[in-house]
Amino acid sequence: MAANPVAIRLEGISARFDHRVKGAVAAVDNVSLDVAPGELLTLLGPSGCGKTTTLRMIAGFQKPSAGRIQIGDQDVTEVMSNDRNIGFVFQNYALFPHLSVYENVAYGLRVRKLDDAAMRGAVGDVLALVGLKGYEGQMPHQLSGGEQQRVALARAIVIRPRVLLFDEPLSNLDAKLRVQMRGEIQRLQREVGITTVYVTHDQEEAMAISDRIAVMNKGVIAQLGSAEDLYQRPASAFVAKFIGRANLLRATVLARDGDRVTLDIAGRRHQAAATGAASSLGKTIQAVVRPEALAIDAAGAGASLPGTVVTRTYLGEKVEYLIAAGDETLQVVQLGPAEARRFPSGTSVGIRLPATGIHLIEEPEA
Amino acid sequence: MYRSIARRTALLAAGLALLAIRPTQAQDTLNAYSIWPENWARPMLEEFTKASGIKVNFLRFSSGEALARVIAEKGNPKIDVLFGGPVETFAAGVKEGVFEPYKPPSFAALPARFKHPDGVWVAIADDPLVFMTNTKFLAENKLNAPASWDDLLNPAYKNGLQMADARTSGTAVTRIFSILEANGRDEEKAFAYMKKLRGNVQLYTKSGGGGTLPVGLGQASGGIFFIVDALDTKAKGYDVQISFPKEGIGTAAEGIALIKGAKSPELGKKLIDWASSPAMQSLFAVHKINFVPAHPEVKTEASLAAVLKGAKVFAIDDAYAGANRKRVVDRWVAEILP
Amino acid sequence: MLWILLALFVVYPLAAMFGQAFLVDGRPSLAPLLSILALPNHRAAMWNSLVLGALVGVIGTAVGFLFAFTATRCNLPARWVRLLDVATLLPLISPPFTTSIAFVFSFGPRGLITYELLGVKGTNVYGLPSTLAAEVLTYFPIAYLALRPVLAAIGGNIEEMAFSLGSSRWRVFRTVTLPLTVPGLANAFLLLFAASLADFATPLILAGSRFPVLPTEAYLQITGLFDLKGGAVLSFLLLVPAAIVFLAQRYWVGRGHYVTVTGKSGAQSTLDGVSPGARAVLVAACAAVALSILYLYALLLYASVVVAFGANHALTLKHYVVIFTEGRKAIIDTLIIAFIGMPLGGLFGVLVGYLVARGEFRGRQAMEIASMVNYALPGTIVGIAYLIAFNDPPIALTGGALIIVACYVFRYSPTGTRTTIALLKQIDRGIEEASHSLGAGSFTTFRRVTLPLVLPAFFAGLGVVFIRSMTAISATIFLVSIDWVLITVRILENMTELSLGPAAAFSVFVIVLVMAVTSAISALLRRLPGPPGAASVAGLGG
Repeated sequence: MAANPVAIRLEGISARFDHRVKGAVAAVDNVSLDVAPGELLTLLGPSGCGKTTTLRMIAGFQKPSAGRIQIGDQDVTEVMSNDRNIGFVFQNYALFPHLSVYENVAYGLRVRKLDDAAMRGAVGDVLALVGLKGYEGQMPHQLSGGEQQRVALARAIVIRPRVLLFDEPLSNLDAKLRVQMRGEIQRLQREVGITTVYVTHDQEEAMAISDRIAVMNKGVIAQLGSAEDLYQRPASAFVAKFIGRANLLRATVLARDGDRVTLDIAGRRHQAAATGAASSLGKTIQAVVRPEALAIDAAGAGASLPGTVVTRTYLGEKVEYLIAAGDETLQVVQLGPAEARRFPSGTSVGIRLPATGIHLIEEPEA
Repeated sequence: MYRSIARRTALLAAGLALLAIRPTQAQDTLNAYSIWPENWARPMLEEFTKASGIKVNFLRFSSGEALARVIAEKGNPKIDVLFGGPVETFAAGVKEGVFEPYKPPSFAALPARFKHPDGVWVAIADDPLVFMTNTKFLAENKLNAPASWDDLLNPAYKNGLQMADARTSGTAVTRIFSILEANGRDEEKAFAYMKKLRGNVQLYTKSGGGGTLPVGLGQASGGIFFIVDALDTKAKGYDVQISFPKEGIGTAAEGIALIKGAKSPELGKKLIDWASSPAMQSLFAVHKINFVPAHPEVKTEASLAAVLKGAKVFAIDDAYAGANRKRVVDRWVAEILP
Repeated sequence: MLWILLALFVVYPLAAMFGQAFLVDGRPSLAPLLSILALPNHRAAMWNSLVLGALVGVIGTAVGFLFAFTATRCNLPARWVRLLDVATLLPLISPPFTTSIAFVFSFGPRGLITYELLGVKGTNVYGLPSTLAAEVLTYFPIAYLALRPVLAAIGGNIEEMAFSLGSSRWRVFRTVTLPLTVPGLANAFLLLFAASLADFATPLILAGSRFPVLPTEAYLQITGLFDLKGGAVLSFLLLVPAAIVFLAQRYWVGRGHYVTVTGKSGAQSTLDGVSPGARAVLVAACAAVALSILYLYALLLYASVVVAFGANHALTLKHYVVIFTEGRKAIIDTLIIAFIGMPLGGLFGVLVGYLVARGEFRGRQAMEIASMVNYALPGTIVGIAYLIAFNDPPIALTGGALIIVACYVFRYSPTGTRTTIALLKQIDRGIEEASHSLGAGSFTTFRRVTLPLVLPAFFAGLGVVFIRSMTAISATIFLVSIDWVLITVRILENMTELSLGPAAAFSVFVIVLVMAVTSAISALLRRLPGPPGAASVAGLGG
C-alpha cells in the first residue's frame, strides 16, 4: 500500500442498463483504473463514451452494476455519495439558486456542523483562493458564468474532499474564458494538492491540464497515458484521430530495423524512423502522420506523393490545406505561412513525408 | 428516506386532523334541522333561546333533503329535533322509524289533524297552499287571478309558472296531494291534469318558496306556494295576487318531532313543548310570519284571516299521504318531470 | 404512507361507489343501471350533459383562443392586457352561481337586458342557451390560460420566418399559427369539456327542468330521494365520459404540454401579427366579452348593496350584516377548513410531485395517476363516492370536518403536484447531487435544497386549495353537516330561498377574500429567493 499508494482505484466497474430499443447496453464496460495521490487524471472521449458515467460512479451518484470502487484504502462501492467525502463540480455548476454565494460555499460545512467562526474563516479563505472575495452576499443568478464556476469550485474544495471530481466544468463558458479558467483549475489543483478526476470531451483542455489522460470510447478505456504518449504514440486509429488531427495512410511494412522502417505508401517506398506495430513485417498497417509533419512541394518534386489542393484556409499563424492524393484526402498544416509558398486550390502539388515521427498502428481501418 | 418524509407528513396530518375535530357541543346546545327557511326559523328559535336559555344550532334543508339526511343518519343521529315542514314529510319519517314519540303538554288541546295519535309528531302551525300571480302579468293579459285549477291551464301562462320540485320540496308534495284530493284521489285524472299543467311550467324549483321572487319580479307569471311564502312576497312590496281554486286546495300542518336516539332528548322535548304551545305560535304575528297557528287558543292574525276568508281549504290526510308519498313522487319524477 | 392515503381517499371511495352501483345483495347486477336508464329524464340528462360539454368545449375554446391571440399578437397596451387578465381571473376565483344569478337578472322574462332594455316579453332564461352562455363565460378563462403560452411560444421566430418567405398575414395564421396550435386547442377543448361535464352549480340554477344534466340529477337523486344507488349509477354514467376525456388528455394531447408550460412565454413578439383592421375587430370582440363579464360582476356587487334587487333599489349594507351574523358560522367553518386544507394540500401536492419526478420506485406512474383521479373526476362523483364510502363503519367520517378537508386535499392538491413536476423538470438533478456530494443526506437535501426550490409550487398548490376550498360546492355539498357548513352551501341555500342579497354579499365577500389571499401568495412568490423565472411557472392557474 505504502509502496504503491493509490488515491482512487476502479476494479472492473461496469454500468449496464436496459435500453428500450437496443436491449442491454453497457455505458461503461469493465473499466479498471488507478489514480495516484495528487494526480490530475482526465477522462477524455466523445459524448456517449462512458466518461461521465464513470465519474458519477466514482462520486456515488450511480451504482456500478459490477466491479469495486476504492477511494484511499476504503472500499466505497456501497457507500452513499454523501459519505464519500468528495468534491464534485458540475457542468452547469448546480449552484443552489436560492442560496447566496456565501451560503452555497458554506453548505457542505453546515452539513458537517462546523461552528460559525470556523466556517466564516474557511469560506473566506476559499473565496479568496478563487478570487471572489466580496461576492458573499450575491445570489447565483447575479453572477457571470465564470464567476458561477468559481463558486462551484470553491464549494467543492472548501470541504477538503479526498478527491475532486469535475464533470465538463468549462463547456458552458466561451472560448477565452475556458482557456483562462482551465489554467486556474490547474493552479488550484496544484495548490490544494487534491487528487482529481476531470471529465471533458475537449482534447486541448485535457492536454493542457492533465498529468495523465484516459481516452475512453464505447465504454472502455482506449488508451491511458500522458499527453505526449497519446499524441505521439496513439494506440489506435480512434485515439490518433481524437487526440489532435491525424492522417492515417495505408502502408505495408517492407523492411524493419529497430525503429528504421521501409514502408510502401501508395506504391512509393518511404524510409523513416517510426514507432509502434513492432511485429508488422509484410503486413498492411496504418501510418499515423500528423498534418504539421507533412510538407508541400511543387508538383513533380522528388520522392513526394502527387496530389491536388482541394482547399486552402489561411488562419494567421498557419495555413491549412486539404489535399486529394489518390483516393485519400490529406490534411497538411504549414506553420509560419509568411515565408512559405502559396498553393491555391486546384494546384497540383507533391506531398513530402517526414523522416521521423511516424507512428504505425496495426489495427485494420475503422 | 421517502418513508421518513412520509412519516413526518402523516404525523403532521394527524395533528391537524385532531385540530379539525370540534370540541363536543356544550351541554345546553340543541341540534336541529329546520325545514322552515331561515327567515321563519331563525326568529322563532332565537325567541326560544331567549325564553329557555337553550342554544339551537340548526341547518336549513328542503323537506326531502332533511328527511333524507335524518334517514341516512338513523344509525348515528346528529340532531335532536326536526323542526317545521309539512306533516306528510313527518308521516313518511314515521314509516322509516326515525322519530321518538313524545306528547307535549299541548297535546290534548290540539285537534286530531294536528297530531299523530301516538305523539310521534305534533303540529306547530298550519299552512295552506295558494295560487300566487303577478299583478302586472294579469293586467297585461287581461286575466283575473286564477280561481280554479283549470285556470292555470290557460295558454297565457305558457312557460310562465314556477313551482317546487317534488324530489326536494314538501311544498311540491303537498301540491301533488292537493291535486289528488281535488280529483277525488283519482290518480289517473290527477296525473293527466299535471301533465297538462306541465306545459305551462317554466321551472320546478328546488325549494318550496323558490318561485316566489321570480313571480314577484315578473320573471314568472305565477305559481303554487304556501301562504306563508306568498304573503311574505307581498309584504316585501312585490305586486302579486293571492287566490284560491274553487275546487279547494290543500293545507299542510307544519310539524315538529323528536329524533330517535337524540343526543339531548331533554332539550329537544323543551323545544317541542314551547313550539307546540301558544308561547311560540302567538309570536307568528309579532314577527309577521303568516302561518296559521295550530294551537286553538292562538287567534289567527286579522289580515291573514281576511285573506283566508271564503277560501276552500282542506287538510291533507297524513296517513294517506305518508303511505303513498314515495310511490307518487316516483311517478311524478318519471311522468311529469321530463 | 402516501399509498395508504391515496388508497383510502381515492381508490376506496370509487370502489365503494362501483359496489353501490353494480352490486345487488352482494352479487354483480346491471339492474340498477337499467332501472335508472329506463327513466327518460335520466337518458335525457346523459345526452344533454354530452351536448352541453361539447358545445362549451368548442365555443369556450374559440373565445379562449380569441383572447389568447389578441393578448399575444395585437401589441396591446399593458393596461388593456390587464383588463383582459382581470376579466378572465374573476370567473376562476368566484364562488359558483355568480354568473348564473347575474344571468337570470339580465336575461330573465323581466331581466335588465331582455325586458327593460329590449322589451322582449316572455323570454325563457332556463335551458340550454343560457346554461351554455354562462358556462362559456365561466370556463373560457381555462382555455385562455392554456392557449396563451402556446401562442406565445410559437410566436416570434416561426411566424417571422413565414413572413420572410412571403406569406400574407392571413396565410401565416392559417398555415402556420393555427396548425401549430392544434394540440393546444385540443387540450383546451378537453379541459372545457371536462369542466362543463362536472359543473353542478350553473345547471342547477339555469338549466331548468327541461334540460336536466347528470350532476344535478345525481344530486337530486341523492339529496331529495336519498337514493344512493341511483346517485351512484348516475355518477357512473358521468364517470365514463370524464374518464375518456382524462385519458385522451393524458395520452393524446398531454404529451407536448410541458414544453408549452416551460417555454419562454415571456418573449413578446414585436411583430404586428395582424392587420390594423383585424386588430380592431379582435380587440373589440375581446373587450365585449370582458365587459360583459365585468357587467355581470358589477350586477352582483350591486345586488349585494340594495335592499331587494328588482324591487327596492335603496342602498343598504344589511346583507353584509346578515352574512357576518347569521352567516358567521359558515364563514368561520369555511375558513377553518380552508386553512387546515391549505398546508396539507400544498404539502401533499409537493410530496407526490417530488416522488413522481425524482423518486426511484416502481409504480411512480400509478401514483401520479392515482393522485390525479379525484382532480379529473367531476366533483359530484367524488362527493357521492365519499358519501357512500365514509357514511358507515368501518370508516365513518361523514359529519366531520375531516371528510371535507380530505376531499379538498385530494381533489385540489394535483395542481401543486403538476407544478412541482414541471419545476423539478427545470431544476437540474445536479443540484440535488451537489448537495449529496457535499455530504448532505437525502432528508437534509430535500429539506434544504429541494423544498426551497419547489416552494413556488407549494404556494401555488396552497393557493389553489384555498381558492377551491372557498368556492367549491359540487363535491362538498354532499359532505356538509350540522357541525360543518360551508359558505358555498349557504349561497346555494340563499339562492333557493331567493335571499339574493345575502347570496350576492357572500359571493362578493368570497371574491374579495380570495383575491386578497391570492395576491398575498403572489407577492410572497415574487419575494422568494431564486431564479426569477421560477415564480411565473407556478402561476396560479387551474
